[in-house]
Amino acid sequence: MPFISKIQRQTDYSRFPSSHPIVIDNGGSYFRIGWAGEANPRVIFRNIVQRPRHKTTGETVTIVGDHDPALLKYFDCTRSGPRSAFDSNVVYQFEIMEYILDFGFNRLGADGSQIDHPVLITECACNPVQSRSKMAELLFESYGVPSVGLHRTNKHLVLMLHSVTSIINNVGFVIKMALQSAQDLAQVMLSQYDFPSRMSAEGFTYGSDGNSLCVFEFSLSTESQFMKHVAVLISRLTWEKVEDLKMEHCYIAPDYASEVRLFQKGAKEAEEKTRCWQLPWTPSPALEPPSEEEIARKAALKEKQGQRLREMAEAKRSSKINELENESKNLEFLLLQLRHVPENEVPSFLSKTGYVSKQEIESAFTKTTQSLRKYKGELENEEKADLSAAEKYTLINIPDNILTPEQVKEKKRQLFLKTTSEGRQRAKQKRFEEDLERERQNKQDEEKRLENPELYLGQLRAKHRELSEKVEQRKRLKTNGGHSNGNNVSGGVGRGERLNAAQRERMRLLTTAAFDRGKGEDTFGYKDEDWQLYKLMSKDNEDDDEGPDEDEAELGRVSSRLRDIDPTFVSRSEAGPSETSHLRPLTKEDFQIVLGVERFRCPEIIFNPNLIGIDQAGLDEMAGVSITRLPAACQSLDERMTNSILMMGGNCLFPGMAERLEAGIRMIRPCGIPIRVMGASDPILDAWRGAAAYAAGMQFPQQTFSKVDYYEKGEDWLRQYQLRYTF
Amino acid sequence: MEREVIEADLVLPTHLGFKKIQMYEKYPKGQARGRHWKHLKQIIQAENYQNYPPDVPNYINIESPPSMHPCKRICDITGFEAPYYDPRTNLRYANAEVFKAIRSLPNDYVQRYLALRNAAVVLR
Repeated sequence: MPFISKIQRQTDYSRFPSSHPIVIDNGGSYFRIGWAGEANPRVIFRNIVQRPRHKTTGETVTIVGDHDPALLKYFDCTRSGPRSAFDSNVVYQFEIMEYILDFGFNRLGADGSQIDHPVLITECACNPVQSRSKMAELLFESYGVPSVGLHRTNKHLVLMLHSVTSIINNVGFVIKMALQSAQDLAQVMLSQYDFPSRMSAEGFTYGSDGNSLCVFEFSLSTESQFMKHVAVLISRLTWEKVEDLKMEHCYIAPDYASEVRLFQKGAKEAEEKTRCWQLPWTPSPALEPPSEEEIARKAALKEKQGQRLREMAEAKRSSKINELENESKNLEFLLLQLRHVPENEVPSFLSKTGYVSKQEIESAFTKTTQSLRKYKGELENEEKADLSAAEKYTLINIPDNILTPEQVKEKKRQLFLKTTSEGRQRAKQKRFEEDLERERQNKQDEEKRLENPELYLGQLRAKHRELSEKVEQRKRLKTNGGHSNGNNVSGGVGRGERLNAAQRERMRLLTTAAFDRGKGEDTFGYKDEDWQLYKLMSKDNEDDDEGPDEDEAELGRVSSRLRDIDPTFVSRSEAGPSETSHLRPLTKEDFQIVLGVERFRCPEIIFNPNLIGIDQAGLDEMAGVSITRLPAACQSLDERMTNSILMMGGNCLFPGMAERLEAGIRMIRPCGIPIRVMGASDPILDAWRGAAAYAAGMQFPQQTFSKVDYYEKGEDWLRQYQLRYTF
Repeated sequence: MEREVIEADLVLPTHLGFKKIQMYEKYPKGQARGRHWKHLKQIIQAENYQNYPPDVPNYINIESPPSMHPCKRICDITGFEAPYYDPRTNLRYANAEVFKAIRSLPNDYVQRYLALRNAAVVLR
C-alpha cells in the first residue's frame, strides 16, 4: 500500500514566522499539508469527510480522513457515507472542503486567532473561476489567510524534477494520472511544459470515471465468478477494499489482446498470473459420524419413546374396551329387564332409561358389540367376513316381493357392503397386475441391458432427458404461462413472469370485467352471464392438474432405473445449485475470489476508455493529440519533448505502465523519434515536494494574490489571474 | 464520548480558535437550508465558456477528443475478445459457454453489466 496517512498533531506551529508559507496539495484522494521548504508533508490524510451520529449521545459529529475502523463502532455510519468535496477534479462542495481544511490546520498545530501564513494550495488545470473564487473566499474570510497561491500540481513536479535532476533538457512532457477514490475520477492530466519560450500550451484533461467504475467493474467481475456468495460479497466488499485489491493486484498488460488470449487458452503463464484472494473462512465443524455408543443411545431412546407410545395406545384401547363392555352389559341388562316388564308399562320404563323404543336399544347394543369386536381384534372379524361371504349376503338373491320391508332394507345394506368389498378386491387385483407388469418391463429392460449394456444405457439416458425436459416444460408453462425468458435455469424473473398462468388469467378476467362495461355507471351483475365470470375464475385455478401423471411416473421409473445401474447418474432436481449447497459443506475454494483477466482489465480503461462506454481517446493517443495542439512555434521541439516524458500520480504505480505508455506513444509518433518515459521518483509525494520547494523560493510572494487584492478587486479579478511562473 | 475515541482525537472540534467564522455560525443548527452548492455541470454552464477565445485553454476545451481508434469489443463477463453480441440482452460475449451464462442471468444483473459501459437502459 503506497499511501500512508499521517495524522499526528504537530507541536511546532509557533516556531515558524508568519511569512513562512503553508503548502497544501489538495488531491482528489489525499490531502497533504506541510511547511514550505521541508522535504515531506507534515500531515497526510484521505480527502473525505464523514458525518455519522454518535450512538450513545446521538449528536452528529464530523470525522475527517481515514481512521481506525475499530473506533467507528461507536458511531452510526449508516445514514451517511464518506463524502468528498470533489466533482471530477474540481472542488464543488465547500462545506466539506471547509471541514477538511479545519482538520488539516488543526493537525498542523494551528493556534492563534487566524492562520497568518501565506497558503499555497493546488488545484486542477484550468479550474473554473467559480471554484477558484470560492476557495479564495473560504481561505480569506474564514481563516484570515494573508495571501493565497493557487497552483497546478504538475507544474511543481516539473519544477521539482528540474531542480533535482537534469534530464528534462528544459523541455518536458508531463503525464499526470491521479489515482483518486471516493466518487471521484481517475483523472489523467496531460500537460506539455515548454520552458524556454515560457509558454504553456495547456494540457488536456482526460476525465473519465475510470476509478470509480474500475471499482464497480471489479466487484462485478469478481462477483460473477461466484454468484453463490454475491450477497456476502457485496455487503463486505467496500470500495476501500476494492481500492486495496486494485493497488495490490492490478497490472497493465503490454498488449491487452494477446494477454487475454493467454488466459483464454488457459496457458501456463496465465495460471501463474492468476491470483486468489481468500475471504475469511473458517471451516465449519466437520460432521463426525456418530459413535457406536451414540447410535445405541439414540436407538434406546427411540425404542423407549416407541414403547411409551405403544403403552399409551394399549391403555387407551383397554379403557375403551372396558367402557364398551360396560355399556354392552348395561344394554343387555336393560334388554333383559325390558323382557320382564309388562307391555303397558314399557313407555314409562323406557322414559326412565332415555331410549325411545326397544329397537333403539337393540341397535345400540349391536353397535356397541360390533365396535367392541372391532377393538378386540379386527382381523378375525374380517377373515370371517371373507369366509362367510356366501351366507353374509343371504338376502341378495331373493326377489324383493317376497321380503318384508325390514328385510328389503337389510338387503339394500348387504348389497352396498358387497359392492364396496368387491371394489376393494378389484383394486387389489389391479395393483397386483400393475406390479406384475412392472416386473415384466424390468425383466425386459434387464434382457436388453444384458444384450448391449452401452446402447441400453444411452437409450435410457436419452429417454430420461427427453422426459425430464417434457416435465420441466410443463412445469414452466404452469408457472410462467409460456413466456419463458429464454433460459431454463432460472424460472420466473422479471415483472411479467411473477404470476402463474392461472393467476394471470384471473387478472385478465378481472380487468376486462372492470373496463369492458359501459362507461359511467356500473352495470355488473344486471345480467346473469356476468356471474359466469366467477365460475371461470375459480375453474382456472384447478384445471391444470389433469394428467401430467403419466410422464412423471415414467420419468420416476426411468430415473430410478438409471440410479440403479449408472453410478454417474445425477438426477436434475438433485443437481440444482440450491440443493448442492445444502448437501455439500462449503469449502475453502468457495470463499475465494480468483483474479485473472480482471488484474489487467481494470487498468486497461486508462488506455481504452471505450471499454466503459466513454468515447474519448486513451492516454497514449492523447499524448499525440496534445502535441498536435501545440502552437506551430513549438512543433520543432517535438523530438525533445517525447524524449522526456514524465509520469506522476497514483496510477503510474501499476506495473507495466511505463512500457505500455512508451509502446502506445511510439505507435502514433513519427518513426525514429526517441521516446523515453520516466516515472517520478515518488509519484505520490513529489508534487507536494515540488510545491514546497517552489513556495520556499524568493519569488513566491510576488506570485500570490493577497487579501487586499481580494477585497479591492473582488472575485472576478481571479478570471484574469494567470500566473506567470519565473524561477 | 468513549475514552478511546477522545484519545484518538477522532472527532473534529466544533470550535476552532484559528477560524474567523466558525462552522456553527456559518451553518446554524436546525435551520433547513437548500442545496448551497452547484454540480460541476452547473458550474461549467455558469462560466459561459462559449464566450471565450477558443485558442486559450479552459476547462472545456482541454477535454480530450474522441478516440480515432476503432472501439475494442470485449466480452462483458470474461473480458476476452468478443466476436458475438446477444441481441436480447445486448451483452457481448466470447463463446458459447458465456452465452449460456448470459442467458441465465437475471435482468437485473444484465443491466448492471451494461451499466459498466454506459449501455444500460435508464428509465427517467
